[in-house]
Amino acid sequence: RLLNHLYFPQKTTSVGAMRLMHRSAAVERPAPEETVTASFGRFISGLKARHLTPTVLRRSKRMMLDSLGVGLLGSTTDVFQLALRHCQEMYATDDISSVYGRSGTKLSPTLAAFVNGVAVHSMDFDDTWHPATHPSGAVLPALLAVSDMMPQNRKPSGLDLLLAFNVGIEVQGRLMRFSNGASNIPKKFHPPSVVGPMGGAAACSNLLSLDPSQCSHALAIAASLAGAPMANAATQSKPLHIGNASRLGMEAALLASRGLEASPLILDSVPGVAGFNAFYEDYMPLPLYLAPDEGHSFLIEDQDIAFKRFPAHLGMHWVVDAAASVHKLIVGVDSGKVSASKVKDILLRVPRSKYINRPFPECEHQARHSFQFNACSALLDGEVTVQSFTAGAITRPELAALLSLVRVEHPEDNPANFDLMYGEVQVTLDGGEVLRDRCDTFYGHWRNPLTNESLRKKFRSNAGAVLPREKVEGLVETVEALDELPDCTPLLLKLQ
Amino acid sequence: MMIFGRFISGLKARHLTPTVLRRSKRMMLDSLGVGLLGSTTDVFQLALRHCQVRSSDNGSVYGRSGTKLSPTLAAFVNGVAVHSMDFDDTWHPATHPSGAVLPALLAVSDMMPQNRKPSGLDLLLAFNVGIEVQGRLMRFSNGASNIPKKFHPPSVVGPMGGAAACSNLLSLDPSQCSHALAIAASLAGAPMANAATQSKPLHIGNASRLGMEAALLASRGLEASPLILDSVPGVAGFNAFYEDYMPLPLYLAPDEGHSFLIEDQDIAFKRFPAHLGMHWVVDAAASVHKLIVGVDSGKVSASKVKDILLRVPRSKYINRPFPECEHQARHSFQFNACSALLDGEVTVQSFTAGAITRPELAALLSLVRVEHPEDNPANFDLMYGEVQVTLDGGEVLRDRCDTFYGHWRNPLTNESLRKKFRSNAGAVLPREKVEGLVETVEALDELPDCTPLLLKLQ
Repeated sequence: RLLNHLYFPQKTTSVGAMRLMHRSAAVERPAPEETVTASFGRFISGLKARHLTPTVLRRSKRMMLDSLGVGLLGSTTDVFQLALRHCQEMYATDDISSVYGRSGTKLSPTLAAFVNGVAVHSMDFDDTWHPATHPSGAVLPALLAVSDMMPQNRKPSGLDLLLAFNVGIEVQGRLMRFSNGASNIPKKFHPPSVVGPMGGAAACSNLLSLDPSQCSHALAIAASLAGAPMANAATQSKPLHIGNASRLGMEAALLASRGLEASPLILDSVPGVAGFNAFYEDYMPLPLYLAPDEGHSFLIEDQDIAFKRFPAHLGMHWVVDAAASVHKLIVGVDSGKVSASKVKDILLRVPRSKYINRPFPECEHQARHSFQFNACSALLDGEVTVQSFTAGAITRPELAALLSLVRVEHPEDNPANFDLMYGEVQVTLDGGEVLRDRCDTFYGHWRNPLTNESLRKKFRSNAGAVLPREKVEGLVETVEALDELPDCTPLLLKLQ
Repeated sequence: MMIFGRFISGLKARHLTPTVLRRSKRMMLDSLGVGLLGSTTDVFQLALRHCQVRSSDNGSVYGRSGTKLSPTLAAFVNGVAVHSMDFDDTWHPATHPSGAVLPALLAVSDMMPQNRKPSGLDLLLAFNVGIEVQGRLMRFSNGASNIPKKFHPPSVVGPMGGAAACSNLLSLDPSQCSHALAIAASLAGAPMANAATQSKPLHIGNASRLGMEAALLASRGLEASPLILDSVPGVAGFNAFYEDYMPLPLYLAPDEGHSFLIEDQDIAFKRFPAHLGMHWVVDAAASVHKLIVGVDSGKVSASKVKDILLRVPRSKYINRPFPECEHQARHSFQFNACSALLDGEVTVQSFTAGAITRPELAALLSLVRVEHPEDNPANFDLMYGEVQVTLDGGEVLRDRCDTFYGHWRNPLTNESLRKKFRSNAGAVLPREKVEGLVETVEALDELPDCTPLLLKLQ
């Protein structure tokens, strides 16, 4: 599956000459086979289709389906449109790679990865893992763009795609486990911008059949492009973190395929010279071994992923489920709507996390990152949907009325951790009645995963916003049988 | 942070003092020359081939008439060229400010219609916005004053400077300028581990490219955090890249002048293409070379040397006893000191494959010991380099350099700077263009249309 000559790996001659120098003194760094970085390179290069277990196949197909649907819906957003115009006008038309939901629009491959990644994260509707990141959007757009690049008679098979996808997911998961800090809601760097480019680079390296050394260098090159501060989450720019993870991860792999080299110790812990650990407070890297004749234990097998039922930060889903229950109680009592005039007080018990604690969000991006907004929307409507974040919905006076009644507490036993947190909503009605509900595990969480029916329902709703029904159903079937698809072209065609 | 936006948007040509004009022209000249020479390197060629896959449009490439790229990619490859040999300017606090800014500005200029090209003064103004913003940001952190350990400074402040400069040149309003900074921050921050590798030049290339992208995205209305430079507990902004961080507003008083950092803190231009820390030990070693040659009347021979002691600051990534490639050699106290001991100087040629693999150099390298005296901090304003050679006969020759020629305390004369430029630019441009560039940059503030500058670079 080597690419055409444009990306055939080439070594620079001067570097080659350097390598011939022999040193009699002791080697000043560990032998390559002993480093964490090299072990990752060997893993990425060496993983084969036979390593993919049924559970891995099943779960990663679900991730792909959800990611595609979310991306297709996301192609209707303003931020996507902005990014697309930017790419079209700033770069020559290099009609190679497709854009989600836009038949007739093509971009150069890394830019297609960029805009599609922006689409996937544009509404904060994409999958979330533990430790926390949004793994699929950093990987799948890049892989599809690479597939578009390949000659017609040498397209990857569906299984090639699934393999590379899982390399990208697995590497992200392994990297996050190097730091305990990664398990909590982030404060410094937005995780998709830290591990996302690494996953994108790993996935593309695998799909491009790079050798272990090139795979290592791809990771190192990607590390120089990683790391966006949390301040840009909950802004219009957040989707670009995933867009850039896909784009820059792909670039890193392409540069590595041309022979660009970077630090061979990027994942290792070298005192005094920060590598990938620059992004973490605590950091303990471990090698990633692929035993020659055994299977590989993928993280996705032991730690499933969460798919969102509505487009907002994952932390919202607990309070929404709790608030929806309280809504039912109120409506039962009041036989009708929830009216702000009947409510005296709303108390939310949630984890302490500044960037999702917004009493009065001022735009759709902030609304997707507001405990208060999502709880009140669910109290009012009984649910939160894609429509809950339109301009009209956000500015409803009855919603504003409820928002002004909200208090927030951060109980000691409620950590900012997607595996351990809960969301509690307590409403005091005018007559003094107190209605309360607590959600420990929302429907869609990895402990209570969406059924295949629910997942497809979400996909149909999303994809159907931009694709005709035959293509929507075609995608459901194609992804379902992806591992048997000899050539991924049908998948690529249905996305436009 | 809107205050930064107002600064970037509001700075006008009248704010540029004579000192600022003079110093920034020197920076521009040096940066162009270094970039032109850098266009001969392998890493540049690699980056160019990479970008040409999505080619065309109107961005010019240093030293390559007939090669055009889309503008942000032109900024990228030219930035790679500038830093490809570690030959570009270095400031205090430490970063390489010009390479993150100038390639982006030239690419933006290429983008503009023929009848609305920026003037030379527009270019100088935007350039200084980019330099000033980088300097101001670095002063938010005490940690920025020392040789870096975590993030490579050009990758932290570089994109911010590129974004600021392009925002000014594009005449964005204050709010757009602020958002450009915030968008750029999401693309900042490369770990130090990639310094001293073939990928290091991409840090400057990407600073220019991604800074320019940020400004262009902001010009389309993309918004990001309005508090990116402020210190918000629990939500990291630009302070994510620093251990300590105390931001200050950057005011532009309505009717007064502005006090630019470049006026009080000049910049260092390198005399040879290696990490700045090398320049102290090279000057010291060159003096010792003269002493030895005087004693020995001839060459320096490894067989006559018993021991070489270097007293340098502690900094792991420029402490390499046996560098294995040109990138490592540019970041090795030992290599540079021994080259200067052997040859009496270090030049562009000292880093060729042939020069690096010389047996007599290897022999000297095996005699080197390194000490890190307490009074020698890893700080470009305070460090020194000492070279002590013990000859076979027992004689001890020593020299210490506190301020190398080219440091901001002992700046290159205009003659020396032009000599460096002619040598660099002459590697790829014909003599008329080389001389034309010297004259054009010298009179840049009087150039009504920057097209002549752009044309001479190819």
